Amino acid sequence: MTDFAIEARQLVKKFPARAGTGDKKAESGSSPTPKRRVWPFHKKEPKAMFTAVNGVDLQIERGEIFGLLGPNGAGKSTTIRMLCTLLEPTSGTAQVNGFDIVRQANDVRRSLGTVLAGERSIYWKLTGRENLEYFAALYHIPPAIATKRVDELIERMELKERANELVEKYSTGMRQRIAISKALLARPPILLLDEPTLGLDPQAARNLRELIAQLKQEGHTILLTTHYMEEADLLSDRIGIIDTGKVIALDTPEGLKRRIDQKEIIRLELTGWHDDLAGKLKSISGVENLTTRQQGEADLWEVNLQAQNSRAALPRIVEHISGNGTRLVNMNIVKPSLEDVFIHLTGKALRD
Amino acid sequence: MRSESSVKSLAVPGIFADVQAFWAVVSREWVIFIRYPSWIIALFIWPVIFPMGYILTARALSGVDGSGLTTFQNTTGLNEYVGYIAVGTMIWMWQNIVLWAVGYSLRNEQLRGTLESNWLSPTWRFSYLLGSSIPQLVSMLMLMLVSGLEYAFLFRVHFSGSLWLTLLVILAAIPSVYGIGFAFASLVITLKEANAFVFLVRGIVMIFCGITYPLAILPAWMQSVAQWLPQTYIIHGVRTAALSTAGFSAIAFDLKMLVLFGIFWLAVGYFLFNMMERRARQTGAIGQY
Repeated sequence: MTDFAIEARQLVKKFPARAGTGDKKAESGSSPTPKRRVWPFHKKEPKAMFTAVNGVDLQIERGEIFGLLGPNGAGKSTTIRMLCTLLEPTSGTAQVNGFDIVRQANDVRRSLGTVLAGERSIYWKLTGRENLEYFAALYHIPPAIATKRVDELIERMELKERANELVEKYSTGMRQRIAISKALLARPPILLLDEPTLGLDPQAARNLRELIAQLKQEGHTILLTTHYMEEADLLSDRIGIIDTGKVIALDTPEGLKRRIDQKEIIRLELTGWHDDLAGKLKSISGVENLTTRQQGEADLWEVNLQAQNSRAALPRIVEHISGNGTRLVNMNIVKPSLEDVFIHLTGKALRD
Repeated sequence: MRSESSVKSLAVPGIFADVQAFWAVVSREWVIFIRYPSWIIALFIWPVIFPMGYILTARALSGVDGSGLTTFQNTTGLNEYVGYIAVGTMIWMWQNIVLWAVGYSLRNEQLRGTLESNWLSPTWRFSYLLGSSIPQLVSMLMLMLVSGLEYAFLFRVHFSGSLWLTLLVILAAIPSVYGIGFAFASLVITLKEANAFVFLVRGIVMIFCGITYPLAILPAWMQSVAQWLPQTYIIHGVRTAALSTAGFSAIAFDLKMLVLFGIFWLAVGYFLFNMMERRARQTGAIGQY
């Protein structure tokens, strides 16, 4: 038994690999596309496997907001899916609210409110109210309590005026509020929120972040995955950074940022970017972790570099980007953000 | 010791909660069903249009004056060939609609993105399949009733048999028809699409079960295959009960076979569902589109 809201020990999840996507060292030592049967003896060769989660350890305290960050394919969604019992781990164990995710899966589901797939997780041909009444029944809330709880959540999410309209007529933000209400219906002690602000306009995202902070005040434990570093920084008590199926760093946002305090971030805005420049900039001594991001559809690029000593590196950077149609538009030396920590640890931006 | 959270859950698990959840699935499916107005076409128009081709072919072969019907009467013991074809095609439509509607019910949820959110709740997972079949069954019974009335009043078909015996055969047929649907639903989730299987199954039913002709005209090997298909007994049972005055004894064997097939197919459906559910937990198939 555990005192943690969520505790995972050495969680591993492997999937049969598609051709060419297996682990470099498949357990069988076979090629990534093994021949399944060898006639005439019907000898079955082991499948090549792809490891999505590779020994994740997590201990999430009751009442904390824990942010799980990672680029696409890092293993955060697979980890969440194991914790909410949609997937069984290949090995390792995890407990949610003290219940084992394999042996006591239904108790785990009863302890969790989950937002996965956001607006697609509700019925668009039902009204907002009908959706909540339906899910209240699935979560075994007695009808009399369910009616009051649905009213309470509709009020809280400011959906009273539109509660009896079909969800297909709602905006993305309104649908997301219904999806979050669904997760809150049974008042579960633990909430798993997978990219809850994805696709929301800035105002709706801000409102949702306020709601998440309120839910923590009410005593909920929240496991949050997000692509938005600022959001993780703002909300999380602690953050786990996951990459290639492993938790590679776990600390408070401040603790993580302290790790690269001695580094400086050079942020350039330029036009006429070409890939050859990346190699040239990386070759400058003391410069590392270059990331680029195109700003909208225009030929304007944001280039971030980490440097031990920006004063020493800057003249050489400027020298490299001058000419060949590239033009420096803006340049800043900024304090490291959580995103820079992430780049420092993984060598790639979160949206890569 | 497990430390308790300060947040107290509102859930009250128990049998009542399971029944309430099952009923919620039934209600949800019904509400969504009637919000797509195309069901009206399915209910009133399709049952008349679909058998029409067969009926007109039969009319052409029997002669406009019906002189060729003697052979049909000698083979089937019935003289109501329009009713004979209508019953056969209705049973075929029933199985066909179940394969599409029940067989693709979980897949449609998966494509909408709602299957995972259902799966995340503590409700017994077979409820989703079972519950979504009930509105489908109700709509199918409505379709049979409307079709019967349309054939009686528009085509002057004389249903000389017993309504209660007809209902008894339909009742006995439900487990096998829906058991096949449940088995299909699990197959579809695993394979992602099974159109080819639907075409195969309905093709087999169409050819082997005699939806428009008596089995006696088939070669012996085809008759042997037909006796392993529950639809053969449904079609024979409903025709005998609805179009003849032969009574209970004439359908007793059909009923017995339908009960046996029902037990078999429900067991197969439930077994395959559990297998699919376990496999999905291992492979993540539920969340894959």
